[in-house]
Amino acid sequence: MRTGTQARKYRLQGAGLDLALPYLMLAPGLTIVLGVLVYPLWDGLRASTRAYRYGSPVADVGLQNYLHLWSDAQFLNALWVTVKFVALSVSFEAVLGFALALFCLHEFRGIRLLRTVLIIPMVITPVVVAIVFRLIYASDAGMLTALSKATGGGEVQILGNPLNAFIGLVALDVWEWTPLMFLILLAGLQSLPHEPFEAARVDGAGAWRVFADLTFPMMRPVLAVAIVLRTIDAFGTFDQVFVLTRGGPGEATRLISIYGYDTAFKFQQTGYAAALFVTIGLVVLALAFSAIRLLRRVDAS
Amino acid sequence: MGSVVFKNVVKNFGALNVLRSLDLTVPDHKFLALLGPSGCGKTTALRILAGLDMPTAGKVFIGERDVTRLQPRDRDIAMVFQSYALYPQMTVADNIGYPLWIRGTSEAGRKAKIGEVAAILEIGHLLDRRPRQLSGGQRQRVALARAIVRDPAAFLMDEPLSNLDARLRLTMRGEIKRLCQRLSATTIYVTHDQVEALTMADLVAVMQGGELQQMAPPIEIYDRPANRFVATFVGNPPMNILPAALCEQGVTVATGIVPVDQTRLAACRLAEIVEIGLRPEDCSVAPPGEAGVLQGEIYVVEPMGNETLVNVRLEGGNVQVRAGRDFRGVVGESIGVAFDPANACFFNSGGLTAVHRVNNNGRVK
Repeated sequence: MRTGTQARKYRLQGAGLDLALPYLMLAPGLTIVLGVLVYPLWDGLRASTRAYRYGSPVADVGLQNYLHLWSDAQFLNALWVTVKFVALSVSFEAVLGFALALFCLHEFRGIRLLRTVLIIPMVITPVVVAIVFRLIYASDAGMLTALSKATGGGEVQILGNPLNAFIGLVALDVWEWTPLMFLILLAGLQSLPHEPFEAARVDGAGAWRVFADLTFPMMRPVLAVAIVLRTIDAFGTFDQVFVLTRGGPGEATRLISIYGYDTAFKFQQTGYAAALFVTIGLVVLALAFSAIRLLRRVDAS
Repeated sequence: MGSVVFKNVVKNFGALNVLRSLDLTVPDHKFLALLGPSGCGKTTALRILAGLDMPTAGKVFIGERDVTRLQPRDRDIAMVFQSYALYPQMTVADNIGYPLWIRGTSEAGRKAKIGEVAAILEIGHLLDRRPRQLSGGQRQRVALARAIVRDPAAFLMDEPLSNLDARLRLTMRGEIKRLCQRLSATTIYVTHDQVEALTMADLVAVMQGGELQQMAPPIEIYDRPANRFVATFVGNPPMNILPAALCEQGVTVATGIVPVDQTRLAACRLAEIVEIGLRPEDCSVAPPGEAGVLQGEIYVVEPMGNETLVNVRLEGGNVQVRAGRDFRGVVGESIGVAFDPANACFFNSGGLTAVHRVNNNGRVK
């Protein structure tokens, strides 16, 4: 047995500073999270239940803002435009990204350079991309018009025509975000085991059957996660539209984010805008949860 | 079924020469083991046969048919991979039935055939599982089932046992041998394990440095190795090699003179032999100091249960001797090593076996 004086030399586990240390070390981070995440979220929720005039809350209206959303034609249109935009962009990005990833899986001269070049659009600031696309689309001095005139055509109306403006926006998004899809899917393809593919070739499968029976089923979890992540991201698209069209012409490219921005900052309806974004937030949250569940299922396998 | 022929097959990976002109013929219905250390080109040879790699030069034939430039699927072969290469997202039944499904076999025909091979490999109860729910041995059986579900011209196996634990490996070794005998199919089996090669194969082809060293039935590989490499690579513990010099009565090994009969001595002299090779089981421990016995001291004693391996340090190097299970010796103790030179083989300076053991299939004791 140890004597008293000896015992004092040892520090016991789970006592004194040892017990308090974890909380002390958590405190700064916790304070920051509370200050910049939790409080604004709560404030936003509170704002969504109020009516505002000239930027100040004037009345508590309960869930009135939320209910009003569903009879607001502009909101419903913005939601519809957003869903169309997300569905089109993300499916094009998935198909293109998968095709590029499959192509870049082969080893040949210059493949490293090609892979790097393909990723560049993703790392350019979105606003810069939008400005460049506006220069391409502009009907008077834009590159498309110049091209058309050089080949004997007239002015090309992209941003002035509702359908063309929407297609132009999707094209921009596809150009900028296909690389992300490509990157995730290429990493997924590269992590697949090699031997089953050789086994399939010996067993008699041609290129198409190898893709349909092996590559695609094995890539399904990665593809699902990539699509969900990209979908969540696309729901929040703002800067490109803001620079390219500001939602026009008419309401053709007015995504939910633009409509919310207009509501809050142009029309000063802070409470209504808060309710709108909380609603969209819940939609995105639901998507995020499905993404996490997919990830878990991948882990389990 | 068909024979398999490699004709002057060369394979380079960039500047690396992996196969230098491989010539090899596997007769119909034979089980050939391609044996060699890692990097000897045996797996490359198999992959070229499968069509997964293209040879730089030369031709490959399966049953008279030139398949050198054919796609793997047009070669009529089945292959078992080291990592089993099962299709992870398919059930065991779908895995086994895949080669049939690709060939458009009807559902009923497929089911019957799957059931048949599953019964042979005793995996009938696993058909609804996925590969990740199986143990290593079970995966191995599924991979084998997928290979035998068709009736290919040749079976290719790339170290199929090396991912299994030691005990399971012994079991599966016997099972695969039985299976191949039952199918009576031309089989090319790549391994680096000489025991697998000797126990399973009808023919063993020993490779090293991209070249075929010797191809013969296992017993001949063991008893009449073509060169120093084959002699030391096959056999466990490996053959002892000692420097040897010729004298009037016989050969001088270490410090002792061992008498050799005149005809073999003449052959040795003609071939200018420089080394003698002795299998551990052809040596025995003897009291030191007797005539014709090599003098040495005990270096290591390893009791194996059924026998005792004694490593004896001699003048020219160490020698492994198989002694009886009741052998007792102390490290450092002086001891003699006796052997009958009729069981020895002799190597010339080029490392080739110049003079073989006297008796082909038996041992002179």
